Amino acid sequence: MKKLFIALLFLVALSACTKDFEAENQNPYQISDEMLKQDFNLVGSPFSQLLFNLFGHQVEEDLCYDSWMGYMNTPTPFVENVNNTTYYIRWNSYWGGYCYNGVMSPSRQVIQLAKSNDLPLFATWAKLIRILSVSKLTALHGPVIYTNYGSTANSILYDTEKDLYNLFFAQLDSIQTDFGANKDYKGFKKFDPSFSGDITAWMRVVNSLRLRLAMRLSKVDPTLAKTQGEKALNDAAGLIETNEQNFWVSLLGIKMRVATICFEWDDTRMGAPMESFMLGMKDGRVSKYYQGPNLAQDPSLSIYPYKGIRNGAYCTAKIDRVPFSRVADDFQTVQRRRCFTAAEISFLKAEACLRGWSWTGKTDAKTYYENGIRLSFADWGGKDVDTYIADATSKPVDYVDPKDARNNFTASSTVTVAWDESATNEVKLEKIITQKWLHGFTNGLEPWCDFRRTGYPKIPHVAKNDSSPDWGIIPADGWIQRLPFVTAERTGNAAAVADATTKLGGPDEIGTRLYFAPDKPNF
Amino acid sequence: MRKITILLALLLFAGLQSAFAQKTITGKITSAEDGLAMPGVPVVIKGTTVGTTTDANGAFTLKNVPSNATLLVSFIGMIAQEIPVGNQTEFNISMQSDMKALGDVVVTALGIQRDKKTLTYASQQVSATDIRIAGNTNFMDGLAGKASGLDIKMSSSGAGGSTKAVLRGNKSLVGLSEPLYVIDGIPYVNNKGGQPGSYGGTDQGDGLSALNNDDIESVNVLKGSNASILYGSQGANGVVIITTKKGKAGKVDVSINSITTFDQVSGLPEFQFKYGAAGGSDYSWSTTPGKYQDSYIKDFFQTGISAINSVSISGGNEKTTAYFSYSNTSAKGVMPTNTYNKHNFSFNQSTKLFNDKLTISSNVMFANEVSKNRPGAGYYNNPLTGLYLFARERDFRDYRYNFQTFNKDRNLYQMYWYSTEEKMNNPYWEIYKNPKLNEKYRVVASLKASWDIAKGLKFDIRGNIDYADNLHDYRYAAGGNSVSVSPNGKYDYSKTNDKAVYTDAILSYNTKISDFTLNAIAGFSYQENILNNGMSVNNGTTSLMYPNVFTFANMPYNIMFNQSIDRVIKEGLFGNVQLGWKEMLFLDLSGRNDWASTLALTGNESYFYPAAGLTAIISNMVTLPEFISFAKVRGSLSQTSNEVPFNRVNPWNSIGGTGTPTQIGGITRNTQVPFTNLKPETITGTEVGAEMRFFKGRAGFEFTYYQDISKNQFLSLAAPSGSGYSTYYINAGKITNNGFELTVDVTPVETSDFRWNSSVNLSQNKNKINELISSNPNYYVGGDDEGFASIIKAGGSYNDIWIYKFARDEQGRIILSDKGNPTKTKLQEKVGNANPDYVLGWNNNFNYKNFFGSFLINGKFGRIAFSKTEAFLDSYGVSKRTGDLRDAGTTMAIDAVQGTTAVSQIKPYDYFTAVGDRNRIMEPYVFKRTNVRLAQFVIGYNLPCQKLGLPLKAASVSFVGRNLFFFYKDAPYDPEQTMSTSNSMQSNEVFSMPAVRSYGFNVKLNF
Repeated sequence: MKKLFIALLFLVALSACTKDFEAENQNPYQISDEMLKQDFNLVGSPFSQLLFNLFGHQVEEDLCYDSWMGYMNTPTPFVENVNNTTYYIRWNSYWGGYCYNGVMSPSRQVIQLAKSNDLPLFATWAKLIRILSVSKLTALHGPVIYTNYGSTANSILYDTEKDLYNLFFAQLDSIQTDFGANKDYKGFKKFDPSFSGDITAWMRVVNSLRLRLAMRLSKVDPTLAKTQGEKALNDAAGLIETNEQNFWVSLLGIKMRVATICFEWDDTRMGAPMESFMLGMKDGRVSKYYQGPNLAQDPSLSIYPYKGIRNGAYCTAKIDRVPFSRVADDFQTVQRRRCFTAAEISFLKAEACLRGWSWTGKTDAKTYYENGIRLSFADWGGKDVDTYIADATSKPVDYVDPKDARNNFTASSTVTVAWDESATNEVKLEKIITQKWLHGFTNGLEPWCDFRRTGYPKIPHVAKNDSSPDWGIIPADGWIQRLPFVTAERTGNAAAVADATTKLGGPDEIGTRLYFAPDKPNF
Repeated sequence: MRKITILLALLLFAGLQSAFAQKTITGKITSAEDGLAMPGVPVVIKGTTVGTTTDANGAFTLKNVPSNATLLVSFIGMIAQEIPVGNQTEFNISMQSDMKALGDVVVTALGIQRDKKTLTYASQQVSATDIRIAGNTNFMDGLAGKASGLDIKMSSSGAGGSTKAVLRGNKSLVGLSEPLYVIDGIPYVNNKGGQPGSYGGTDQGDGLSALNNDDIESVNVLKGSNASILYGSQGANGVVIITTKKGKAGKVDVSINSITTFDQVSGLPEFQFKYGAAGGSDYSWSTTPGKYQDSYIKDFFQTGISAINSVSISGGNEKTTAYFSYSNTSAKGVMPTNTYNKHNFSFNQSTKLFNDKLTISSNVMFANEVSKNRPGAGYYNNPLTGLYLFARERDFRDYRYNFQTFNKDRNLYQMYWYSTEEKMNNPYWEIYKNPKLNEKYRVVASLKASWDIAKGLKFDIRGNIDYADNLHDYRYAAGGNSVSVSPNGKYDYSKTNDKAVYTDAILSYNTKISDFTLNAIAGFSYQENILNNGMSVNNGTTSLMYPNVFTFANMPYNIMFNQSIDRVIKEGLFGNVQLGWKEMLFLDLSGRNDWASTLALTGNESYFYPAAGLTAIISNMVTLPEFISFAKVRGSLSQTSNEVPFNRVNPWNSIGGTGTPTQIGGITRNTQVPFTNLKPETITGTEVGAEMRFFKGRAGFEFTYYQDISKNQFLSLAAPSGSGYSTYYINAGKITNNGFELTVDVTPVETSDFRWNSSVNLSQNKNKINELISSNPNYYVGGDDEGFASIIKAGGSYNDIWIYKFARDEQGRIILSDKGNPTKTKLQEKVGNANPDYVLGWNNNFNYKNFFGSFLINGKFGRIAFSKTEAFLDSYGVSKRTGDLRDAGTTMAIDAVQGTTAVSQIKPYDYFTAVGDRNRIMEPYVFKRTNVRLAQFVIGYNLPCQKLGLPLKAASVSFVGRNLFFFYKDAPYDPEQTMSTSNSMQSNEVFSMPAVRSYGFNVKLNF
């Protein structure tokens, strides 16, 4: 009996050693906040990922606005050739993932850490990156969750676009003030692949972003646009004016997505609208963007210097168009991609001239327009820019699809490169926006915003329009205006989405115009 | 007068004595199971105390045996026999082992031995002979159909592949719901590796393939959590208890077992070879027939061979016994270049010391497995896609013999193929140029000490270490398909090890007090499992620096090397009391308290689960009719908890990428909600059962009805867009599994020459997802896998399959688009469930003199199976049905409507371009899952060694066959040779290996 008792006691004493449990349940190959505190890495280390997440992949970019704007199109008949590229939505949830999971969620932690570690300028930087991300998301969906982000309520409400832009402008004010008071701060250096921690460069980004957003609102709210635009143009910190000041985002060692999709998956090729415009207008940048068709795969294409795929094309077999023009080989090895360039600023200034804005040092639309083209050619390495700028005759050409005549189109645009001071504002605007679009390769969201706002460039409609009541009908002479709200939100946050739809001012469909793109004349 | 009476009596007596002749008889007693001699068996003249026992050779001699006497032969664990002496003087007696005897002792949880009749829960014992009889390379395959309630599927990857075994249905949304495997009372790590999916991959195997089937003495399956509560949460899904062979005192035994089987592809999809592709397309949709090559698909496969050769030596005396074995498995699969080789060594001993008070025993098992070019499934890098979908008009022989061509620009060989499509590769390039190696080393070593403290009081202490080293080395040559392989090649390498340390101490006390019996145990266990500990690297499509050089130094700078680990510490305190009254009533109470490290910081690390059961042996309580020899009813109730996976409560951040030469890799912050109120999953199990035996054990059945309710499922959810996080975990959900298990065992014929035993194992499991998240009834787990979706949703069942069906009008006619193609429903609809409704096994064993035989029919009934392969074969125009339809004419029949016009004919091309392929209408590719097959067939002969003068104790030769043919099958593939042994892709196949049948021969020798 005594032996039994001792044995039991022994058992009880041995049991319940739980002190090592916490350590045991930790993955030693992860990195804790404590470890990151060394070398003061804790607050700054997520930033390169935050910047990286300003861009997406195949379903976010290539099969969305890159296709709608004619930069790239797919030879693959995804889902029986009925998908986003032909105006039937298959993929509308992914941008939300990049924005909320890739930027908003980690930046929320960064902002808290910045405060608790007394590094307030990092919080400022994080807020700027949030605006960069959400200003993209709202251009896709319309109303989005921003103010209420992080709420623990059951139903998280969306902001109206009007409120969003006002909020952006207000927040950019305080961000610029914070930066301005800390111009010599060196703390970002180790964590900043774009500017190596140069605060003045970030201040230029703030102003440039303000200008971009102001121009977006130039039709729906001309007064606000002018105020904010002039504020940006007049700010002492300046804008992105030279190619050395361009805002690039590092690819962090990962291959440029368009190169992966193009070369490895054979899922994307040159877009026919770009072929029409660049070849027609004899654009010296074309060889930097694309390469000739693959004659080893299809010798019959030898008559075409470049061959693109029609936006929203009729596609039956992928193999038909795999030999068409791919992107230039350099894209397989580039280390970074364009986020905001000097050429875009120059074109924004040209349009600002047309809209009668004024600022210190303002010249005229022609100067800014031609400067924009020169900056673009210098940026991309295009040849013969002077000949190009002087060309008053070359126009976009008709397009022929050697595999399916249904994809052919006649060029509706008669735009030329050479500036014509005597032309109407409408013609001038077409020139500016067309050049802005031609420059914006691999950075296609803003050109899509410009298109919806201005109607330029005059690219062809999709060849195949599969829009249906499921996601909204786009008439034959219409264009896609937005992506529907994220599917998981429609089911999981239904009340807020219903509220957001009223804030949208139209049904949650792809044909509903967004705030900044009202159906009004340009001037 | 009295004198005469006595004299008469004496005379009568003497007369009686001499009325029947007396003689000497001799005989030999052997075991029917293996033909071996049985020493020490008592042979008694019935009604007397006259008898003898057999000697070491199983022989006996009895003198002065009257001819009208009856010999009584009985031995523990064997069925007793009564043999009339008659005119015989020589007797060869074969004794059958009595697995179904009333007083059978079975091994239960933790190695505790219990009398089967007292058990309050369902369990079923399967003998080693039954498992090994057909020579399966994996022992779980040998269990299929032999224990009710066990739903087993083998991976279609062949020898060395993994198994999926589920008892009583799927209980966990995230976990695998597979039983715990225990060897000699100690948990055996069964770490299942990655499985293929639609996009590709290969079965990475599991821990069971390392076992040597010939070391197994018996297997006891504990079917529910009620039986396994003493193992804690890992036993929540049932336990398979394996007892290995040990040495026996007084016998030295050498046995050699050699089994060779041939494997052949038994069922390929049906193809057409008459119509090719038009205009160089990938799709064979020409309507002009031609004369094309037609044997290359079946010529691709070869006849596989498996050879398993083992030797074991065992022996001992009353103090020490020992057992040693070596086994070699050498197999070639049906896919060329696929090989599997395994070495197994094992040694165990047991020594009694200090007057038999202390027993020390030890056990060491070592295994080495090398698997080369194991077949996979899915689209990428799979030889079967290019093989099946080959454009018919092309010259396959050219691609077979010239699978590579020399690229002058690169000065190296590249794949020669006609299509750049991501899923089509030259099959011969795949098998010759992309070698795959999986190698495992495994050691399991244990030490036990058992101390008989006093009468009925025993103390056992055990320690065990289970260590495995896993190497995965897959090399893809430069010049292959650019979608998955970089231009300089792809190196996919991982090296991990698994280490499990287990120790327990158990105090047991058995006593009998008047009418009561008491068996009690109390104990403590400690277990630390560190699995998947190691590194992995895969350059994918990021180019290696130099072509075809597979070493770390050749990795480009922007590839990450990853390290992984998975750790759990489990400590438990447990106790069990079994109280018996008059051998009629038994009460069983158990309790266990676990502490699990994966719930650290939640406050819920400690959780308790109890179980209670009651058995009533009716046949001991009341007098039942003569033909009922045994009747028992039992019921039990238990609650088990299951801890959550590693590192879910409070994960840290990770390094997001390699960075660039000028920028260190950024940090990806952990955006999962810290889950500090995580709770363990709970399973409440209830079961009731009855067992009856008739005609002294000649027939009987055992029936169990059970219900398991799983709650607090551990679910991972995408956090709402605005919540501030990206993922969070909750405990939610309620899953119910209920069903029955029935085993019927009959020996219809039993004579001294011929015996036929037949048993039927039947079970049904109904799974229902009652609730997932109560506030969101539309929530579901799982999702679209291109065309079919395996969705787990409230109101449905586990592995429900949802697909797009034809859009139909109210009359059921298919609605055609204005271009004449069938249209599909707007949303996916549920078409059925991938798990079978009924599982049946009918096993028959025959013995006729020295011949033996058996056949096993396995059937799984009900529900559906889905084939993505068929969907592709149709859309590419290479299936037989597309060929037949083109033969029949330019149009085919259909019941459809276009607008308001009825349509009854459609061009095959218009139909097949709307169905199948990756994600079109999948309705035609849903088949009935029901399949019934001749799973095993064995016929053999025990050589009469003594008669033939062979220096052997026993020898047998047999012919074995497995999966020989199907009595019924609707799916174009075998749903039981599964593509994946994880939870997904069940009853589904995407270019996985075709079904295989095996046959061969087995030679066993005993010295």
